[in-house]
Amino acid sequence: MLYKKKLPLFIFLLPGFILMLVFLYEPFVENIINSFYDMTSFVKMPGKEWKFIGLDNFEKLLTDPKIKISLVNSFKMMGLTIVFQVGIAFILAILVNSIKRGQHIFRTVYFFPIVISATAIGLIFKLFYNYNGGMLNQLLKALDKEPINWLAPSIAFIMVSIPTLWSYVGFYFVIMLTGLSDISEDVFEAAAIDGCSKFKQVFYITIPLLRGVICTCITLAVTGALKVFDLPWVIVPKGAPQGVTHFLGTYMYEQTFTIGNIDYGSIIALLIVILGVVVSGIVSKILKPDANL
Amino acid sequence: MKKMKRILSMVLTVVLVFSLMTACGKKEETKEAAKDSASTEETTDTESTEATKNPVTLTTVSMHGGTDPNAGNYQAINEQFMAENSYITLEDDSQSADQDWKTKIAADFAVGNEPDVIQYFTDANASDVLAADKFVSIDEIKAEYPDYAKDTLDTALKAASNPDGVQRAVPTTGYWEGLFCNKDLFDKYGLELPTDWDKMTKAIETFKENDIVPIAVSLNNVPHYWVEFLMLSSAGPDGYAQVPTETPEDWAKGLSMFKTLRDMGAFPADTDTIDNELAGELFKNKQAAMQLDGSWYAGGVTDQDNTVVVAFPTIPGGKAQAGAMVGGISSGFYITKKAWEDPDKRDAAVKFVMAHTNKESVTKYWGGNGQAACAVDPLDTMTPLGVSGLEYSSAATSISSPTDARISQEAYNTLISGIVEVSTGAKDPKDLLKEVLEINNK
Amino acid sequence: MTKQTKRKKRISISQIIIYIILSLWAITTIFPFVWVVNNSFKPSSEVVNSSFELPKEFTLDNYTNAFDRQNILVSYKNSLIISGSVTIAVMILATMMAFALTRYTFKGRGIVQSLIISSLMFPAFSTIIPVFKMMTGMELLNNPISVILPQIAGNLSFAAVIMMGFLRGLPLEMEEAAYMEGAKVGQVFTRIIIPLCRPSLATVAIFCFLWSYNDLFTQLIMIRRRTMYPISALLNEISSKYGTDYGLMASSVTLIVIPVLIVYIFLQKNIIKGLTAGAIKG
Repeated sequence: MLYKKKLPLFIFLLPGFILMLVFLYEPFVENIINSFYDMTSFVKMPGKEWKFIGLDNFEKLLTDPKIKISLVNSFKMMGLTIVFQVGIAFILAILVNSIKRGQHIFRTVYFFPIVISATAIGLIFKLFYNYNGGMLNQLLKALDKEPINWLAPSIAFIMVSIPTLWSYVGFYFVIMLTGLSDISEDVFEAAAIDGCSKFKQVFYITIPLLRGVICTCITLAVTGALKVFDLPWVIVPKGAPQGVTHFLGTYMYEQTFTIGNIDYGSIIALLIVILGVVVSGIVSKILKPDANL
Repeated sequence: MKKMKRILSMVLTVVLVFSLMTACGKKEETKEAAKDSASTEETTDTESTEATKNPVTLTTVSMHGGTDPNAGNYQAINEQFMAENSYITLEDDSQSADQDWKTKIAADFAVGNEPDVIQYFTDANASDVLAADKFVSIDEIKAEYPDYAKDTLDTALKAASNPDGVQRAVPTTGYWEGLFCNKDLFDKYGLELPTDWDKMTKAIETFKENDIVPIAVSLNNVPHYWVEFLMLSSAGPDGYAQVPTETPEDWAKGLSMFKTLRDMGAFPADTDTIDNELAGELFKNKQAAMQLDGSWYAGGVTDQDNTVVVAFPTIPGGKAQAGAMVGGISSGFYITKKAWEDPDKRDAAVKFVMAHTNKESVTKYWGGNGQAACAVDPLDTMTPLGVSGLEYSSAATSISSPTDARISQEAYNTLISGIVEVSTGAKDPKDLLKEVLEINNK
Repeated sequence: MTKQTKRKKRISISQIIIYIILSLWAITTIFPFVWVVNNSFKPSSEVVNSSFELPKEFTLDNYTNAFDRQNILVSYKNSLIISGSVTIAVMILATMMAFALTRYTFKGRGIVQSLIISSLMFPAFSTIIPVFKMMTGMELLNNPISVILPQIAGNLSFAAVIMMGFLRGLPLEMEEAAYMEGAKVGQVFTRIIIPLCRPSLATVAIFCFLWSYNDLFTQLIMIRRRTMYPISALLNEISSKYGTDYGLMASSVTLIVIPVLIVYIFLQKNIIKGLTAGAIKG
């Protein structure tokens, strides 16, 4: 009833949407159009023409073996982010919400890894894993064991996933905690009086009431997994070792900046965007965030 | 001639006054100043010092920014320059050259936001920016300022000419690449320095047995030096410096050495993932015996007494003579047309470049490292490693610029990114080179 | 009475376990921060060789080095101007968009929503060059606006997604009740929605501030004049991004992190239970 009139809708929606149109969508479309040309540089130099190459890049995309590796890794990462990032963040948020003293300390401390730049965290983990004199191998040495190449092709994916997953748990933690603080205390008190255990409260009260927020987190997690870039790039640049740790995000960056195949990089960016829309569409189909409206 | 100049200066005055009228601020004074400049323009021939009293703001860009070893020297020269020419204000935006920076510079040139003077690459690395055709050639500058680049050696100017053969940039220093060896480690295990391939093999085997990394290199990060020297060694300077259309056998043969060396255990166990800096630490800490690197690396070596530079040993069946060296000059100071066509800035820009490229400044920039673009006097403060480097580079039988000076960036980067796969045998060097040349010929 | 004490005791045991779990995780998150601060007091060579030890000789060189070379205070101010305006604009615009998208049903809502989701994944470099050309055309280079506008657009999609998530969870009854009492949509938005959203707005604000503050790429492309540099661009220049001077890098990271932590601690007071509870009751 309240939201029948459509005029306010436009007033609320348009200012933000116009900004996005001008500074995001239009430039992105322009970039896609450019990727039908062989871009020799980011900007067309005056007096220089780019060669039209049509769908060559799409053909390359379908046959590129590294795209396959990146796709597999990115989808693996998606699964891992849902289970570990969102999962751990959910548990931590519930635990922090349930304690009485020191809440603010944990809230502050869990946020640290997000604030510190990926370059610095990447460097820390590089020094953990380093073969000669890295912290892990120093520990092994103290235990009289042979050093291990922590980033050998067989285990590199796991070793890179650990910091990538860990560093963003705090992000979802903060969002979940905010969601939890929106739930009225009264609901829990009423449930406790009815003899509902803390554990049951999580399933019958918290999860249903947090549905919208959890869905937001999962959407952000899967789309985030698709564009995972900075930590892997710092720890194992260019899909090192031997190309096994390529993600769509890192491969796009390598093509665009390291190799300089800008048009191909744009096509990979397009692939990431399309995949993200499809996957988040599936997520909202399954979780139905609007169900309680 | 004189009449021409007068007309030109009048046109310029009109333009200047017109543009100043539209600008806000103290109109009267600036008009006055514009008149001043017009009158001085006319008398340039007789009193050139008078011509430059207008306050000028010069925008400058160099690669001596961030933690670049020459950043301090660059700033010092700028400060001295501003002190001597109080009417010139420098607005300097120097940064260390990385990909983001290059993108930014290219974007500037494309939209007409280029600086007045820029120190930039001279080889194929600059092709983006050169395509905009916004630099003034040295010939054109010399026609008006005969003293321009007077200290710079002709060979250096030639080495710094752009891929189209035109000289636009005035270089300060060049570099060489060579094989750094921890001589104390060689002595400790009774080994000779790797002056030929047999000694190299022997050294690799011995070091390997004694848990010392024979060659510090990051194949994933910076295999560039090895790519260059293996191809040069295999193909000889002539075969190396051509840009072939067909896949050259010699290049492929050189690159196949990566697999041989890897199988021998010459590289660090984590060569696929280690950072170039960390690989360098292995060498500096005496955990590794050899490292192939550029002249800029010498300054950072901690043990200046027991480290030496030797010529790269020719690989078995290689066509290169002993002493074939990779090196050259790859950057220099350019003046943009924008500055050149502005009567006030023209003179200031020329002065600025001259201040950075005269013998005194070049000596500072050189500091005993690499090659100097002027005839500099040897320094008496050189360390044994510095002397070793100088001896190595002056004994070179040939000097070739690296491959990325000749082929497109995209092609070169494809070559580099394929090296790990070549070294494990996952990719045939011939296939990689074919791919690279296809991109280059695109 | 006995029943109550029993219940209290049980809670305290489980509470101890909870505290242990939380502290274990806290150790992993505190570690890198301590590592960075610790290493910022060492010379660079020591960082690579013994980064997990305390400094052998405590040195402030990295800091004096950073402060000597540039005017850091001016850069802090520039950063504050840019990131502050981005944060405020995003908070307002994103709440408005989320409000429109969760409260109204209209044709094309699905399309607008997937457009917003898709823009979450736009890489900065694929949109920056056309925007750069636009800014040059309008002669806005070196002007903070040239960074602020694209950053608002870039952060809007994330903020709108988050705000939509929270708004969906808010019960409609209060808004309906207010409408019955004669409130207009604008009043419902400012009097009910915004106060209720305070915790979520604080969350959006901290992330927007953080991303705007750390978004080097846009800053470097748009701002060329050194005196206009925001702090992260400035410090990046000092310790060139993937540079070798790890000691200087550690001190730069510390200098960059401090303001963000201050903003976070300041904002997180708003993410406190009770604020909303009060709003719902009143």
